[in-house]
Amino acid sequence: MSHFLDRLKFLERIKETFSNGHGIVTDEDRNWEDAYRNRWRHDKVVRSTHGVNCTGGCSWRIFVKNGLVSFEMQQTDYPRTREDLPNHEPRGCQRGASFSWYLYSPHRIKHPMIRGRLLELYRAERQSGKDPVEAWAAIQKDEKKRDKYVRVRGLGGFVRTSWNEVSEIVAAANVYTIKKWGPDRIYGFSPIPAMSMISYAAGSRYLSLIGAACGSFYDWYCDLPAASPQTWGEQTDVPEAADWYNSTYLIITGANLPMTRTPDAHFATEVRYKGTKIVSMAPDYAEYVKFADLWMPVKQGTDSAAFLAMGHVALKEFYINKQDPYFQEYARKYTDLPMQVILRAHEDGFVSDRNLRASDFDGGLGEANNPEWKTIVFDSKGKRFIAPNGSIGFRWGEEGKWNLLEKTGADQAETEAELTCIDNRDAVVSVGFPHFTPGEDELLYRNVPVRQLTLASGETVYVASVFDLQVAQYGIDRGLGGGNVASSYDDADVAYTPAWAAKYTGVKAADMERTGREFADNASRTKGKSMVIMGAAINHWYHNDLSYRAIMNLLHMCGCVGQTGGGWAHYVGQEKLRPQAGWAPIAFALDWQRPPRHMNSTSYWYFHTDQWRYETIDADALMSPAGKNRNKGLTLADYNVKATRMGWLPSMPHFNRNPVELVAEAEKAGATDEAGVSKYVVDQLKSGKLDMAFADPDAEENWPRNLIVWRANLIGSSAKGHEYFLKHLLGAQNGVMSEGGAGNGCKEVKWHEEGPTGKLDLMVDINFRLNSTGAYSDIILPTATWYEKNDLNTTDMHPFIHPLGEAVTPGWESKSDWQIFKRLSKEFSKLAAKHLPDAKDLVALPMQHDSAMELAQPLGEARDWKLGECEPIPGKTMPILKVVERDYVSTYNKYIALGPLMVELGNNVKGIDWNTEAEYEELKKCNYTVTEEGVSKGMPSLEEDIYVCDAIMRMAPETNGEVAHKSWSALSKKTGIDHHHLYAGRHEDKITFRDIVAQPRKIITAPTWSGIESETVSYTAGYTNVHEHIPFRTLTGRAHFYQDHEWFLDFGEGFCTFKPPVDLKAHDNVPASVRAKPHLTLSWITPHSKWGIHSSYQDNLRMLNLFRGGPYIWLSEEEAATVGIRDNDWVEAINSNGATVARAVVSQRVPRGMALMYHAQEKNINVPGSNTTGKRGGILNSVTRVVVKPTNMVGGYAQLSYSFNYYGTVGCQRDEMVVLHKIEDQDIDWLERPLTDEREAQRNPEGIGSK
Amino acid sequence: MSLMKFLFAVYPYICLTVFVVASWIRFDYQQYTWKTDSSMLLSKKSMVVASNLFHIGILSIFGGHFAGLVLPHGLWLGLGISDMTHQWIAIIAGIVFGLMCLVGGAMLWSRRMFNPRIRATGRKNDMFVISWLMITLLLGLMTVPFSIGHANHNDPSVMLLLAEWVKSILLLNPQPELLATVDPIFRAHIFFGMTVFLIFPFTRLVHILTAPLSYLGRAYQIVRTKRRTV
Repeated sequence: MSHFLDRLKFLERIKETFSNGHGIVTDEDRNWEDAYRNRWRHDKVVRSTHGVNCTGGCSWRIFVKNGLVSFEMQQTDYPRTREDLPNHEPRGCQRGASFSWYLYSPHRIKHPMIRGRLLELYRAERQSGKDPVEAWAAIQKDEKKRDKYVRVRGLGGFVRTSWNEVSEIVAAANVYTIKKWGPDRIYGFSPIPAMSMISYAAGSRYLSLIGAACGSFYDWYCDLPAASPQTWGEQTDVPEAADWYNSTYLIITGANLPMTRTPDAHFATEVRYKGTKIVSMAPDYAEYVKFADLWMPVKQGTDSAAFLAMGHVALKEFYINKQDPYFQEYARKYTDLPMQVILRAHEDGFVSDRNLRASDFDGGLGEANNPEWKTIVFDSKGKRFIAPNGSIGFRWGEEGKWNLLEKTGADQAETEAELTCIDNRDAVVSVGFPHFTPGEDELLYRNVPVRQLTLASGETVYVASVFDLQVAQYGIDRGLGGGNVASSYDDADVAYTPAWAAKYTGVKAADMERTGREFADNASRTKGKSMVIMGAAINHWYHNDLSYRAIMNLLHMCGCVGQTGGGWAHYVGQEKLRPQAGWAPIAFALDWQRPPRHMNSTSYWYFHTDQWRYETIDADALMSPAGKNRNKGLTLADYNVKATRMGWLPSMPHFNRNPVELVAEAEKAGATDEAGVSKYVVDQLKSGKLDMAFADPDAEENWPRNLIVWRANLIGSSAKGHEYFLKHLLGAQNGVMSEGGAGNGCKEVKWHEEGPTGKLDLMVDINFRLNSTGAYSDIILPTATWYEKNDLNTTDMHPFIHPLGEAVTPGWESKSDWQIFKRLSKEFSKLAAKHLPDAKDLVALPMQHDSAMELAQPLGEARDWKLGECEPIPGKTMPILKVVERDYVSTYNKYIALGPLMVELGNNVKGIDWNTEAEYEELKKCNYTVTEEGVSKGMPSLEEDIYVCDAIMRMAPETNGEVAHKSWSALSKKTGIDHHHLYAGRHEDKITFRDIVAQPRKIITAPTWSGIESETVSYTAGYTNVHEHIPFRTLTGRAHFYQDHEWFLDFGEGFCTFKPPVDLKAHDNVPASVRAKPHLTLSWITPHSKWGIHSSYQDNLRMLNLFRGGPYIWLSEEEAATVGIRDNDWVEAINSNGATVARAVVSQRVPRGMALMYHAQEKNINVPGSNTTGKRGGILNSVTRVVVKPTNMVGGYAQLSYSFNYYGTVGCQRDEMVVLHKIEDQDIDWLERPLTDEREAQRNPEGIGSK
Repeated sequence: MSLMKFLFAVYPYICLTVFVVASWIRFDYQQYTWKTDSSMLLSKKSMVVASNLFHIGILSIFGGHFAGLVLPHGLWLGLGISDMTHQWIAIIAGIVFGLMCLVGGAMLWSRRMFNPRIRATGRKNDMFVISWLMITLLLGLMTVPFSIGHANHNDPSVMLLLAEWVKSILLLNPQPELLATVDPIFRAHIFFGMTVFLIFPFTRLVHILTAPLSYLGRAYQIVRTKRRTV
């Protein structure tokens, strides 16, 4: 009916009245109501999630209407938890709920895009008759042509192109680079596979097949807590969020639960109803402080001092004043506290040296296998030194004794390790402990009870248990006399009393004393249900591993690790790629060829963005006076070069030559097999004809050439030292405010007077939104959003696996990542036919953790073959060298099928191997087989995304009970303990993609992880170590208080100690014009945001509407007033690294002395020019520079062995300081001017050269 | 056909037809476009003064025109209001409300022109309609001196001619020649005024038709029955 005609009937509108005329009844038109119904009406609902790095892992309902995604809502069909535990639902936060905006937003990348100038050049070359690879070569070889497009990176100028053309260009660039420079000059960066495993695997599979390197992310983000591999040999394993609910005492520090763990934060509020006490530590009034019963406002960067003080209290009251039986047993069985340490004479006393080993005894205490890797305790039952089961020497080369049962290795007799010899000591000696607090002594001598021992070498030494040394190191008075110990907590002169810590942390001594006591007392009464939740705010510092070790010390003293409701809970960038064992072979193409190339990104970017050229930290100044310090005089970069040379850290490129050519040369010189090639390369290295690439990172043959970034915002959110990336790697407009030079003076790294700029030939960004990374790329490929593809998602916050689902087909011309890389591999194969016939490639691999290679370098001695300290032996004293046949023409055929090595070599994870033939055969039926002619015909197909999902789940113990059975059987053999009961109830389970589309499924307990999936306990890290007696994967097999590697001792980090933030000196170098104005010098703190996850969602209109709609920096209200800054004023933060401009938020939340800029606010949203640099006003990382730490480079030594994302340098950026000043509104320059030749040429700030 | 005939005998019917038919179509087919398009959310500054002056002014002027031109001449005479009194009332009310409308309208116009938020979010159509109303209003105000001149000579004939012309239009007996002798400014004002009806359905002006006056007296509770559909 007509609305209009209806209106004409207004006289007869009222049909009847009621309630004395207060109500009327009408039969007017109600069609308008449909509008409201239609708002929520939909055609279908599809399960998906957000592949964003928040580890929320929330399952969502995606509503589709008229072929478009109209909205999303939280799924609430997770399997229930058990009766006494709240559920994991509802999961999802405001950010996830805003995602559907992106699909049809102005940010969406709809078509393949390419830098216009590059396309013109390429088309011109192609039209002149060159084939794609020749055309690319012609552009690269002509400096002018190359510079033409390189110099305008970041300045727009994209044009639309076709998939055909763009994949041809990318493939041509890859082929050319392999031919000219080597496959290890191609780099791929993508983070956190767990958030969308298939997408990650797509790129890494393509790159691994062609021999390119995949870059790590966890360490680069500085989310990897290096202390975890140091202490447990474990990358990171943490409790699920539900386990917070089992805790009865919680300390939360540096992890903002409501902000960054939004879907899980409810467990922290709920557990308070049970009476759990929560202590929050944060310098600012962070959101998680509101949970707290006690807020300890600890000064930023001093957390280790606070925890050492709490440890002082716990140790004194529960180990010295009385001996808590639970703690005693735990310390004896699961920590290295009873392990014996040799003391080395130093000055008038001693310092701690390496752990005592079986090899130090005559006959190796009966240990023929790996005696150098078996550590020693004193058996209080047999009154003798013994090598107990479980140390790493038992892990390799023998079976059945790698366990934590209290037995001697040699005769399996019952033992009880002695913690202290104080009552049976031979002597008391003075031991020096390195100390790094400015204004206090550098070596604190304290008396320690010791035993005397004559070693097999005939040398007589003193040995002490880690426990006795550790008690002394905490400064606890045991009545042994000597200095530097405190009998009272109020002694502010002795480290580490609460009164001492109060001086540095700003926290009240009484609060630390009480918290330390309560934490330990609670753990004693509950058998370890005291927990510390920690995160980025304390982990992003240069000395983050010390902060974490201070916490782990406290937890281990109190027997918390491995107990439900207790232990550490590290939540920052941690992920749990649950079906890892099924995923890794596909992701790194291990089904076709091994090994893949992996690189630690921190070192990679440190060198390749030339941040090392600006290094202000003097490594010598970080050293301990008590070390052997044979490396005095080296720079941080030098240490890294040594680490790559000694096979500790990987290096990309490996050498200053093309690895494909190296093999060809070796064969020409007569090598016939891998050993021959290896020998040839060793000779070349020895003679100096060949060198490690990092020894001369600025030479053009060592530059990275192609970079593919997918699922990431490398430049916009994770480029620590953002401006250096722009200057040196990309050759773009940049705001670096200083010239390189401070880094000169290296012994191992060659110095070039002029720093190179624009190292990359090609940068490709694969994304669904145009962010800062895309803006600086040469090519942008449109990918499917999280609602447009099929994929897998898991997290450590809950135990379920669930999918990303294709709610709508990929928009416009976008494709899923799996299909994009499939296409690239097809194009690559085509071009390879002419340019890259069969090639043999040499892969140089550092000594890998969880393989027998972790026993490469005994006794923690760092021997450098180049200095003649040992012979260069691949896999022992230098990287292991492997020849890989590439068969480049078959790249595509390999990409689309599960390869034969899964049958020939089987599968493995963390040092456990099993046969995977049955699963391979099943997958042929489950996925169909490849019908295309080629090397992979008849093999299980990986052509479609869902096939990949199912292949992963079929091969992983977490999703296939039969595989769990096989892997647990393998581990049971190693430990000599029957672990089968852990998964027995689910032996028959097989989880498929269709299952998880129907409902998230709880995974099956697997030996990949240290916790269990059970109906009686929540998942927690270290559970199987403590309850199943599976050793930690460390030197001693126990959790480590002590690190005995030479480099750790050189830097005074044998025991955990307090080191204040390092002075990076960047804020000293600020233009006089800024100095002359009122300004503040502030700590640069960059925590996570409430309105974004990294850079995702920050540019989403819905989120922008919730706060200032652009970049902002939080300042202390009082402090801002002192320099005339009012709320919402523009401010500039500046130092020698660059500058960033944002609006000020002045707040009482923030204490004096810090500027707080939320992480990853994008450069493309309301960012004006910086008045100082004259360039776009930057991002949070415009004022940071990454710094590497030598102790993180150690390798080839038990838990200190490299593994991808597992150990290595971490990209810390939080010690940085900035100078901050106000910019008047009228001085804001949006740089909205046309590009002129002059502007194009001025790539650096005025007055700053290219050095 | 002479221009006079077209403008004052044909054009009025075009305007009225478009006014009725187009409004009907829009009301039936584009309900979601039927709104005031208020921009007060974006900028409230001076809106209370500007909007009220404009709306009170223009509604009063409309009422004045309706009373004087549409209601039958005899009604006023019957009420004892002489033609001259009628004319003076019209002049004074026209000045008062015209000026109110002018001040308010000028404020709204300059807001739409110079306030960056309003300018950026507004459409050309919005700018056009306020401008057109202002021109019509100015032309109307410009007729006032002429009316005063006639009134000073006790001559209501022009007013009566105008009313007679309106009556001829409404009775479907158009007599454009009635306007042949009036001052040209009246003809200009009439043309612009008629055009307001022409553009009316295509602008935000439609909100006038559905002013929610029923709210003033509606029942507390309304039960809408399910309509039986065939």
